Amino acid sequence: MKRIPTYFLRIAFALALAAFLLPGPVSADEIKLVGVITKIDIAGPDAKTATATLTDNKTGEAVTVIVNDDLTLDKFKDHRIVVGDEIRLKYEVLDGKNVSKYFRKTAGC
Amino acid sequence: MRGKAAVLIAAMLLAALALPQAVRAADEDIQKKVDALSKEVQDLQRQVAQSKEGKKSVSDWLTIGGDYRFKVDSLRGKVADFFPFTGFDPLTGAPVVGPLQNEFTVKNDSILTNRFGLNLKAKATQNVTVTARLLMYKTFGSQDDSAVTGLQSFDQFGNKVISPFFGDRVGVFDGTQGHVPGDGRLTVDQAYATWSNILDQPIWFSVGRRPSTGGIPTHLRQNNEKPGNGGIPGLLVDYAFDGAALGYAPDIDVLPGAYAKLCYGRGFENGITANGGNGLKDTEFLGVSVTAYDTDRLYLNLQWDRGFNIFDQPVISGKSFFGFSVEPRVDLGDIDWYGITALSTLKNVGPGTLNLFATGAASITNPNDKRTLVTPSFPGVGLLLGPGETRSKKTGEAFYVGGRYDFNKSRTKIGAEYNYGTKNWIGFVPAGDDLITSKLGTRGSVYEAYLIQELNAAPISSYFAKTFLRIGYQYYDFKYTGSNNWVGAPVKISDLGNPQNAQIFVPLKNAQDLYATMEVKF
Repeated sequence: MKRIPTYFLRIAFALALAAFLLPGPVSADEIKLVGVITKIDIAGPDAKTATATLTDNKTGEAVTVIVNDDLTLDKFKDHRIVVGDEIRLKYEVLDGKNVSKYFRKTAGC
Repeated sequence: MRGKAAVLIAAMLLAALALPQAVRAADEDIQKKVDALSKEVQDLQRQVAQSKEGKKSVSDWLTIGGDYRFKVDSLRGKVADFFPFTGFDPLTGAPVVGPLQNEFTVKNDSILTNRFGLNLKAKATQNVTVTARLLMYKTFGSQDDSAVTGLQSFDQFGNKVISPFFGDRVGVFDGTQGHVPGDGRLTVDQAYATWSNILDQPIWFSVGRRPSTGGIPTHLRQNNEKPGNGGIPGLLVDYAFDGAALGYAPDIDVLPGAYAKLCYGRGFENGITANGGNGLKDTEFLGVSVTAYDTDRLYLNLQWDRGFNIFDQPVISGKSFFGFSVEPRVDLGDIDWYGITALSTLKNVGPGTLNLFATGAASITNPNDKRTLVTPSFPGVGLLLGPGETRSKKTGEAFYVGGRYDFNKSRTKIGAEYNYGTKNWIGFVPAGDDLITSKLGTRGSVYEAYLIQELNAAPISSYFAKTFLRIGYQYYDFKYTGSNNWVGAPVKISDLGNPQNAQIFVPLKNAQDLYATMEVKF
């Protein structure tokens, strides 16, 4: 077997770690919250959009967002994200509607 | 004409007679639906009332799941020509080597096992969860691990002798509890508390007995869901660790799903000693895991781990080796690991989904001057160091590639995998789900192919509940001795005809496992 150069693995590891230190772009219009999903509306396996309602952990208020990204839609469709899951959400208000920009289960194991 | 009319009338009469039955059946069906809806409404009303009172139903905070597996394995192997190391001369301490053992085959036509796991996840307080997995794994007709720990024979006095093949299967120990068939007791495989959203940031801290087994991409052949961000790369680590993790999952647009974590584990606790110590240290483990990308189409992880003060042997209760109990006697040094893992799930490739993975790793030993099995006439062996060998670092490499194709309509999954480890490859994977030896720690090649057929049965207990049958075949082609063992220098299998290369373990040249399972996830 050809040897796997360990220095390559070391450099790749260092680069990946460094990427985490890069600050991501932040939009002033973005709203962030952490909350629990109380409702998901998605129209079948071919749906290109869905709405999810979350209860904000801090305020207790319900927030409904439109979800358009394929990653999250796939997780709704195959139940990797379900009602009761806690979500870290980032959204923008566009034309009076809350549109999800980041929809991910709160990290932890 | 008259005949046709008679038939028509007869048909109408039959239909008329049958109609009340049909109407009654329809009425009953509607009544059942009404009853079911009424029950649902009552449940909802009760939940709303409880919610108003501040009460929670159990399902709001507790998730229960688990799995059961029946497995039958048919094992075959070929032992290489070798000189067995039979112990030390009690007077001089010199190693005693037995006569040359010519190549012979070993087998177990059928070994049947039961494995049962129970998973619990409790949302205790806001941002704090407790997760547990209880595990029982036993062999049919046995209440201990002897069925999988080596070659069975009887000595001249009729005492049973078990000669192990591999270091990771000498007996069940802390890192393999519940992952190697044992005494049938329900043990705690995982128990940890996780504190999430620390400082309102995507930061978490988790401590306890870790989910450090069955990592990516080994979940594919197990037909498990992809492990979440508590998981580990399967080629580097498959060991039931007690430890902790501190994780961070930043929102980086170009790196969707990315997260990083610092992991810690304790592999051996040395206990209370006098101030000067007892010559042993706790065995510790530190890892930095960077998952740079985590989507369905691409999962990419890089990991560095270091094991500190690696013990010569774990604590294995009730086992002895040449008259000595099996427990750590000396720590042999440190080991570094580097690994990279890529996994891709491509949907709608033909009639199904294609899963592909490739993972590579390197292990680098950093031995100290300590040796184990030292006697007045024997210099002992060290961290991948043979008798009398001076201290030197040893680098080993391994890779693991494969894929699985899922036919969505028929729920059939077909997979094939290959892994290779070089002479000095040492993983930390003794809990691998393989009876012969953990395949990802093999110094040589392992081929595996399998077929999974899920039953077309609607899930009831959870969205992920399923029942499936799995058949598979593994072929091990060992190139060097000592797979999954970091004590002593690996020897080329073809060089075992030299008495200087006498072996403590029975060296397998090749091995096969034909297996079938029935598994239920709930």
